Amino acid sequence: MDGDPAVMKVPRSSSVEVKEDMDTKSEKQATRDALIDISFCGSTPMLWKVSDMKKCRSEGVIGALVGSLARQPRQNVRLGRPLELRPEEALLLLEKEKSTAAVRLDTQQDCEDEEAHSEAVRLYEAGLESSYQEQCVLALEDKKKTLNRVMNEKENGTEGSGSAVRERLEALDQSFSFPWSAMAVQLCTARSGFSHCPEERSFHSTDCPMPRDEHLNTRFSVYRDLRNKGYYLTSAGKFGGDFLVYPGDPLRFHAHYIALCVSLDEEMPVCDILAIARLGSNVKKTVLLCSPQEGDVVYSSLQWSSMV
Amino acid sequence: MRGKFWQTMGFSERGKQYLQPEEALYLMECGNVQVFYRDLPLSIQDGYERFLSSDTVTLHQYQVFGHLKRLGYVVNRFDPSSVSSTYERQLNLPASDKQKKQLKRKRSQSPVSSDKHGISTEEKTTSEAHNELAETSKLPADLQEPVHLADAPERTWWMEEDVQQKHPKTQTAAPRWDFSSISFPDLGSRRRSERLASPHRSLLPENVDVGECDVSRWLGRLNMKQEKLSRRDMERQRERDRYRRDVNSDREVRRCRNWAEYSELMEERRRRRRKHRPEHLWEREETPLTQPGQCTSHRELLDQIGIIKSSTFSEGLSRLSPSDQWKISFDVYQPDTVAEFKKSHPGKPYTRMCVCSFAGPVPDLHAVKQLSFQSQDVPVTFAVVDHGDISFYCFKDFKLPTDVY
Repeated sequence: MDGDPAVMKVPRSSSVEVKEDMDTKSEKQATRDALIDISFCGSTPMLWKVSDMKKCRSEGVIGALVGSLARQPRQNVRLGRPLELRPEEALLLLEKEKSTAAVRLDTQQDCEDEEAHSEAVRLYEAGLESSYQEQCVLALEDKKKTLNRVMNEKENGTEGSGSAVRERLEALDQSFSFPWSAMAVQLCTARSGFSHCPEERSFHSTDCPMPRDEHLNTRFSVYRDLRNKGYYLTSAGKFGGDFLVYPGDPLRFHAHYIALCVSLDEEMPVCDILAIARLGSNVKKTVLLCSPQEGDVVYSSLQWSSMV
Repeated sequence: MRGKFWQTMGFSERGKQYLQPEEALYLMECGNVQVFYRDLPLSIQDGYERFLSSDTVTLHQYQVFGHLKRLGYVVNRFDPSSVSSTYERQLNLPASDKQKKQLKRKRSQSPVSSDKHGISTEEKTTSEAHNELAETSKLPADLQEPVHLADAPERTWWMEEDVQQKHPKTQTAAPRWDFSSISFPDLGSRRRSERLASPHRSLLPENVDVGECDVSRWLGRLNMKQEKLSRRDMERQRERDRYRRDVNSDREVRRCRNWAEYSELMEERRRRRRKHRPEHLWEREETPLTQPGQCTSHRELLDQIGIIKSSTFSEGLSRLSPSDQWKISFDVYQPDTVAEFKKSHPGKPYTRMCVCSFAGPVPDLHAVKQLSFQSQDVPVTFAVVDHGDISFYCFKDFKLPTDVY
């Protein structure tokens, strides 16, 4: 129950005006379909829906999975949803107008009208009931199959016990009961249509819940520039830099560069440059010092070589 | 709600069982728990957005929590008041009501009547062990019982004046023995006699009369055999002795009759050496910190020339004020203790976690000291979160070696 509720898709022209509007519900849905929903947990942007993640990846924004994997929750090698986005990645998606950012507003939550809420509860309970019926039928069939198999095995073996099993099988239709508490229930990862929908607001750069400081602006300029050049970027905290730069999708390539974002007027001590150069040469990646300059970005690469 | 997780998670209050928000969210992610709000189940997205905030548990802290729980550790919230201070532990106060009191008693020889007496006799034990006649503390006036007298015979060996006084109340500073006038027989020397003269009357307790001592049986126990070394051992010995000079082969040293004369001889020799000292070094206002030949080991030398006083990690800890930025978030217990883990009495944690991120500052010495002081004897680990990637760092105390062996 992850996707958006099914609606009529109204074809619209491409320019999307994202502002607080009083559009009809269907139009809202249509524009929403094409956009990626970014939800905020505090000040961290996150994606919850699989469709959103696919769209995001097709834009070249990688992000990082941080939740438990539903099928194997007790391991840390592979993680599952949500996809945590870096602030630069979220800003890029917003700037390209590929997404809309939404924040759950507490106040709006609680004073939601009672009618919609009780409707939601009713729908939920109806869904639960139909799921229960389905599972009853499936459980009964499963039990019959098991008994049949046991019976066949016993008939191949000794004679007497086969009859007891057959009797049980025949009595099964009457006596079988599937308790409610044994029902398997699905827990939604993303917020589904049943629960309350937060009010969506567009975020201009001033409204963003992400704190914007000098360093974020520098990093964002660099990120945008490298992304436009076709590189894929992920975080590089363990390598001492800001980004790891891949020539293609990270699943298929190793990183070629470690990008460190410095502003042009920032003073950098020589020992820092030495340290990052050493680090880069040890992990066989080229270090890029990136500085935004009047709309463009200037890159310097460091390479470690010995004097011959 | 049944399940194995109640053994390590949750708490009870007013008759109901509660879960912390991070525990509830983790269980939701594992698929063990469904949380209902207003009759509808919450999705995991709802859980993240509702349960995690700067007032409860932040997203970074939850990521660390989840990471550790998935690996099997038991993770609880850190409660600063649950850590007992060093003073409390010194007193061996019970951590909880159920723990039995166990006061340690170092000295067991004399019958101890009360705790106070126990503590004061402790001091006496150490003074005896050092073989010095330091000033003993004045016993409180109420301990005049025969218990004290039972100790008396032992101590009168050392305190000459007490033999006459027998005053349990005050104990003056005991006079030292005059070692220059007492000759101790050297039983280990080759020339030995089997009979020793009786010790001087003043050294013995009253009414004890000792005649000549026959020490032949005792001497028989001493191993006086010449050590037979193998050829290799003898060679090794010769090598060692080549550069070693026996102190007793010095004639002047042999002339010394006791330690005082020996130290005088050494001082005299030093003075003679100093006459050859360079003037520009030694006759000015500033003299060198150490003299050539004065020190016999690296550590002594470093001690003498070290003008910067070195500090240990635990110095000044009590004066540190708690900081807002650096806080311990969790207690972590090892996974193999899960079977015996009791929520009411969890014991000492394996480590304590402080959560931070690469975007923030590196903890400075003040922060590291303050956190380790807060955590007492449990090591503190820093969990650094970088967009889903978690790295763990810890700081270890280290001392530079000062001596070469």
